[in-house]
Amino acid sequence: MREMHHSRWSKIGTALAVSSALGLMSGMSVANDKLVELSKSNENWVMQGKDFSGTHYSTAKQINKDNVKKLRPSWSFSTGVLNGHEGAPLVVDGTMFIHTPFPNNTFAIDLDEPGVIKWEHKPKQDPAARAVACCDVVNRGLAYWPGDDKAPAMIVKSLLDGHVVALNAETGEEYWKVENGDISVGQTETAAPFVAKDLVIQGSSGAELGVRGYVTAYDIHTGEMVWRWYATGPDADVGLDKDFNKHNPHYGQKGLGTSTWEDNAWKIGGGTNWGWYAYDPDLDMFYYGSGNPAPWNETMRPGDNKWTMTIWGRDLETGLAKFGYQKTPHDEWDYAGVNVMMLSEQKDKNGKMRKLLTHPDRNGIVYTLDRETGDLVSANKMDDTANWVKKVDLETGLPIRDPEYGTRMGHRSRDVCPSAMGFHNQGFDSYDPKRELFYLGINHLCMDWEPFMLPYRAGQFFVGANVWTYPGPKGDRQNGIGSGQVKAYNAITGDFAWEKMEKFSVWGGTMATEGGLVFYGTLDGFIKARDADNGKLLWKFKLPSGAIGHPMTYTHEGTQYVAINYGVGGWPAVGLVFDLNDPSAGLGAVGAFKELAKNTQMGGGVMVFALDGKSPYDDVSLGEYGM
Amino acid sequence: MMKRSVKKAKSGRMLPSFLALILGSGLAFNAQANTSTLKVCAASDELPYSNKQQEGFENELAKILADTMDRELEFVWSDRAAIFLVTEKLLKNQCDVVMGVDKGDPRVATSDPYYKSGYAFIYPADKGLDIENWQSPALKDMSKFAIVPGSPSEVMLREIDKYEGNFNYTMSLIGFKSRRNQYVRYAPDLLISEVVSGKADIAHIWAPEAARYVKSASVPLKMVVSEEIAPTHDGEGVRQQFEQAIAVRSDDKELLKEINTALHKADPKIKAVLKDEGIPLL
Repeated sequence: MREMHHSRWSKIGTALAVSSALGLMSGMSVANDKLVELSKSNENWVMQGKDFSGTHYSTAKQINKDNVKKLRPSWSFSTGVLNGHEGAPLVVDGTMFIHTPFPNNTFAIDLDEPGVIKWEHKPKQDPAARAVACCDVVNRGLAYWPGDDKAPAMIVKSLLDGHVVALNAETGEEYWKVENGDISVGQTETAAPFVAKDLVIQGSSGAELGVRGYVTAYDIHTGEMVWRWYATGPDADVGLDKDFNKHNPHYGQKGLGTSTWEDNAWKIGGGTNWGWYAYDPDLDMFYYGSGNPAPWNETMRPGDNKWTMTIWGRDLETGLAKFGYQKTPHDEWDYAGVNVMMLSEQKDKNGKMRKLLTHPDRNGIVYTLDRETGDLVSANKMDDTANWVKKVDLETGLPIRDPEYGTRMGHRSRDVCPSAMGFHNQGFDSYDPKRELFYLGINHLCMDWEPFMLPYRAGQFFVGANVWTYPGPKGDRQNGIGSGQVKAYNAITGDFAWEKMEKFSVWGGTMATEGGLVFYGTLDGFIKARDADNGKLLWKFKLPSGAIGHPMTYTHEGTQYVAINYGVGGWPAVGLVFDLNDPSAGLGAVGAFKELAKNTQMGGGVMVFALDGKSPYDDVSLGEYGM
Repeated sequence: MMKRSVKKAKSGRMLPSFLALILGSGLAFNAQANTSTLKVCAASDELPYSNKQQEGFENELAKILADTMDRELEFVWSDRAAIFLVTEKLLKNQCDVVMGVDKGDPRVATSDPYYKSGYAFIYPADKGLDIENWQSPALKDMSKFAIVPGSPSEVMLREIDKYEGNFNYTMSLIGFKSRRNQYVRYAPDLLISEVVSGKADIAHIWAPEAARYVKSASVPLKMVVSEEIAPTHDGEGVRQQFEQAIAVRSDDKELLKEINTALHKADPKIKAVLKDEGIPLL
């Protein structure tokens, strides 16, 4: 099994040199083929979603329903950074790449001897970034590109201060660095880059700060910008294909990026995208969601506010949009639509095989679209307590709202579900192709939302909102627990195979394996495994700190490992991280998670598990100076 | 749409529901009539209006008022911004008076106005600029406007199509703090220092708030008060000049009468303080 990493990579390099000329001419990328190959192997976990489809599913089955109870810690690594650790480590060819929140350090760990740091990268950053970030200083992880004859294999990451950096995967040296967002105008970066073919796709954040959301592609070889398209504004800026929404003209087509806004409000209209991406190599299309419109106060921006809150299907080479489906026209609740996109191939109700895209949105609806045409296949409530919407009309694509749970000035809307944090947030969920089930990690949170206007002298006024967040009707509102759920969802029938309550939000998402298991971390610091068929809890382990990232798995030297970041923080734990007490602070997160501090404190690192705790250090002579 | 909100606020169309909310929150109207003291609510750190060291011009005016009423002055301090004084202090009976509200503020009863001033353009006097109003062509070449969001200046900035381009600069003045569920004050001394340093091309703010900083600026600054109603393309216009009054609770009729009498009596002293502050009086 064991092979030296250097030699393996150099072998790939020679193979690439031969075929690259051909590859480039036909618009193909040999590196891409290599990435697909790596993503299929159980030895590697080369992207945040495991594969381009974002299934977050591994065919590894050494760890299974029968033996998972014997899962024990194998080794661990402290990143030396507190704050929230979102995302997951990557594993490529026997090396684990670990990222941290701000200051966004990166560590390469040799899996044969995890007690030794192969290299580390500690970027210098504008400290102002820390002050600007809204919801803790998280980072959602790294991306990997396998290299070709022109450039070495690279690890790509984003920095909180708005830069994107490519590192030589072998040495950790900076290969290129670009500014994707300008911290001096309030733009920060928390999203993981996404690598497909020879392009690095990077989103943007900072909707509240006047940022007009955009998605950008950089050439992996040089860091040069290839294209950039915006969420709002003229069609030429939004990047619409000539056949945009051809299959669904009722979603809207031309000129809406400006006409659905009053005056020039689209210029500061938000629609940033700090979530996840998926890519279909056959269609050569990639998928992501744009976020909430700005300003947050809906009375200040009449209209549908297109193309915020939109599921995009864009051509990878040009970035031009083939389709765009707006889920929440004229958002009133901050249901930023940036969540995970998971691709599957399934038969629809009529028995027709379709290429699908499934997206559990913040607004409490889980959408499934035909990812070639954008057709709506299903749109169901993630939990029946979602109440701002009665249902989504599949014919028109429009949500049928319940005005009782709308928000308006001077009115305290009570028991609005979901809360602004969404029934689902940045968690990376999973899809089990055998069972045809999506395993959803859910926030069971609702809110009171009260926009207010306070007059002041000389005609001045201040518009604000009080937000109180608390566990939904199925939880224990009195005691502030029961704010999470895990569910197994069939996107074709709309049925849930099973559903389980959790003490707190399942913020980080789920990972599924062919061993018939669903893994996830919890805010109060457990990693758990459930039976994929019935949701039965089979195993759990208490981590040093709460988990807001997602688990991953890899096989090394014949042993399957499960790893997860720990380090509580992010939006749900802003109260804990910043020591806030006002229950409506952090948009209500402080009140919602006041119980959390009784369960966990800050930390930061990675824990790796194997059956019986099998570890490279079972050979006690490993790494010893003198026995 | 901010414009619509401003106009609603101005015409009171939006306020009744807001007011109902406050009144509905169970307030006890049993102000203790203690005629020997005058309890004035004031912000502990909001110059040039007020601070705990009583260096604000409204601290000065409160002293004059209490003297004239022959009462002992008692400041009731709030560490929160003065924008919350009416709802969190006055209407909760923690004091009897709030200085400096707009005449006719529907949440309270207001005294006879004790001065009138306006929003003003403030810019370096030595740059050969001559800006009289929002129609001045020179504004078109400017890109950095120091203004306070939620003020009539913001509405006019939108009117001349400079709001979006200026948005990031506006946010930078408060360190990009989210204003979604917290009030973040735009410090007037900072806005003026931005003009002095040349980081801002021009400021447009409520003149009384800027006056002492304009007066003490290290470079000569010009302050030009805007017209009563600045014209807008929809013909409605936006008010730029305001009369300032003293607020008491709506049912505090006796106190209001007493204050009005004192204000007239003390008018020369009040005007002297305001002039000394450098406030353009209309």
